[in-house]
Amino acid sequence: MKPSSKNPNWNILGLLPAHLIMLLTLIIPIGIIIVVSFSTRGPYGGFEYAFTTAPYKQLLFNDGWTGELEFNPQYLIVVARTLLLSAVTTSICLLLSFPVAYFIALQRPAIKVLLIYLVTLPFWVSMIVRVYSWIIILGKDGVIEKTLRGLGLVDQMDSLLFGNTAMLLGLVYSYIPLMILPIFASIEKLDPALIEASHDLYGNRFTTLRRVILPLTRPGMIAGAILVFVPSLGAVLEPTLLGGGKTMMMGNLIQLQFGGARNWPLGAAIAIVLMAAVMVFLIFQGLRSMRSEGLERAA
Amino acid sequence: MSTRTKIAALAMAGAVSLAFSLPALAEGNLAIYAWADSISPEMVAKFEKETGIKVTVDAFSSNEDLLTKLQAGSSGYDIVTPSQHFVKIMIDSGLLEDFGASSMAAYSQVLPDWQKPWWDPTGNHSVPLAFGNAGYTVNRDLYKGPVDSWKTYFEPPAELHGKIASLAQPDEVIPAAENYLGIKYCSEDPQEMKRVLDLLLAQKPFVAAYSSDNIENRIGSGEVAAHFWWDGNTMRLRRNDKANVEYAMPKEGLVGWLDSYVVPKGAANIENAKKFIDFMAQIDNATAQYNYYGHSSPVKIDESKALYNKENAPELFPTVPVKMGQACSPAAQELVTKVWTQLLQ
Repeated sequence: MKPSSKNPNWNILGLLPAHLIMLLTLIIPIGIIIVVSFSTRGPYGGFEYAFTTAPYKQLLFNDGWTGELEFNPQYLIVVARTLLLSAVTTSICLLLSFPVAYFIALQRPAIKVLLIYLVTLPFWVSMIVRVYSWIIILGKDGVIEKTLRGLGLVDQMDSLLFGNTAMLLGLVYSYIPLMILPIFASIEKLDPALIEASHDLYGNRFTTLRRVILPLTRPGMIAGAILVFVPSLGAVLEPTLLGGGKTMMMGNLIQLQFGGARNWPLGAAIAIVLMAAVMVFLIFQGLRSMRSEGLERAA
Repeated sequence: MSTRTKIAALAMAGAVSLAFSLPALAEGNLAIYAWADSISPEMVAKFEKETGIKVTVDAFSSNEDLLTKLQAGSSGYDIVTPSQHFVKIMIDSGLLEDFGASSMAAYSQVLPDWQKPWWDPTGNHSVPLAFGNAGYTVNRDLYKGPVDSWKTYFEPPAELHGKIASLAQPDEVIPAAENYLGIKYCSEDPQEMKRVLDLLLAQKPFVAAYSSDNIENRIGSGEVAAHFWWDGNTMRLRRNDKANVEYAMPKEGLVGWLDSYVVPKGAANIENAKKFIDFMAQIDNATAQYNYYGHSSPVKIDESKALYNKENAPELFPTVPVKMGQACSPAAQELVTKVWTQLLQ
């Protein structure tokens, strides 16, 4: 890195708004949440500034129905389910996005712009509206049921709403554009000469895909996976509206602690654990991609 | 200044002015936070026209949402409308203004039954708005069986399996389960609450959704055949949308509620709030509000103009005991939460 300006003071000043916004909207709120997570719960919600680690203990241990403190994995189950569903969501998005992104990258420039525009189009509409519309599509007398009945394929069908399938569908639908865009960007950067070279060296289509295209587009896939996985961890809308609120994810668990359960410190503690998990995941990913880049450079 | 610094300065000025302009509210405003669709828009428009006060109405769908918002501080609302047990919690937590309700014109309109109740013994913190009960409703196109007991809802017959919906709040559902099991509200006995959990866990496989939003569509369209719900809402769906629904009268008893107008601590427009509360209690306006909302009125109304009576709105005139929901002690609330978390874990 070389100094980019004659007067470095201006650089610091120029970045000040960014630091200020970071401080006001990110660092201070997170600090408040950390403080709350180590506070004592108020009798009817709220909290008092009296240091305790009880909320974190409560994540693992709870008074059993007999009144004895026992190991209770109820919150860990929610955490595990959240991680699993987010991973499944990410995998489905990855599988679906790759062909779509590849197809878009093959088009003429004008069509390409149009297709990319169409991929980003849903972001112009509020997330709540988009998730709600799935209720209309999947629900009783919804588009799917009416079509199937119109075609005479079914007479009476069970509701497609309310369950893990509907929830996964909602999650994939919500976040798939975040996967398509980075993969598209990395496919765009792919040098066609390398694919030709692979064919020249008697690589068949599958070998070319496996040994040339996939490794070279991996940065895009990793970026997409992070962009999908992280917001899936905190999803609240999809489990509530499409999943029927029957299986809790971490977002709903946090919501319950701040609302119905009136246990803010526990809610804050769960939020901190969620955030820490995301950070560990990101650092791990960062280290891995740095190491693989290093290996490539050394090779 | 370079362009970059100018932009930086502008951005900073913007951020700072945003930070300081939020709490400032203009005179002549009134911000109401009420149950979804609970306040007659016609009456709001009439009030705005008569007084020149600009009214905004936001909606919540659970007492817990409202409580959390007030506890988080500076909600920005001048009137909110919690149910009785939450009025008590809010008074005890110092979240409400003593606005001298009992000496207001509106209070003289309140029916004797509802004056100075246990949740507001001085009558100074709240003016009643509407009352009713929580039970369940069935779609008669889908379910023809009896609805004279909570058994139909909690231990549903085969035709209701997968066709039941509950609410997303423990506060609404658990007292109903306690009525069914004959346990008193806010029990502090873990063994009794374990029975509540067992009942709800046994019911869970048959529950399609736990959700407090969009209820009228879910039960009206037949997405589900039975739904935990309120008396007046069922009546409105039946009358306005001609939905074939019936509100159950379980012999074990319904869960009573009463919503009140209260003023959050530090509200910016207390005088306007009092004007609005007095306005809504005037007999003609109270009647119009009753006709709009469809829940029983705790203030005097003009019977000759009231739309609903025992014949056309049996929902509003329960034939079974109604037991008012209580404000639970923290120990009891802990058990309620435990039941709910283990139910949905």
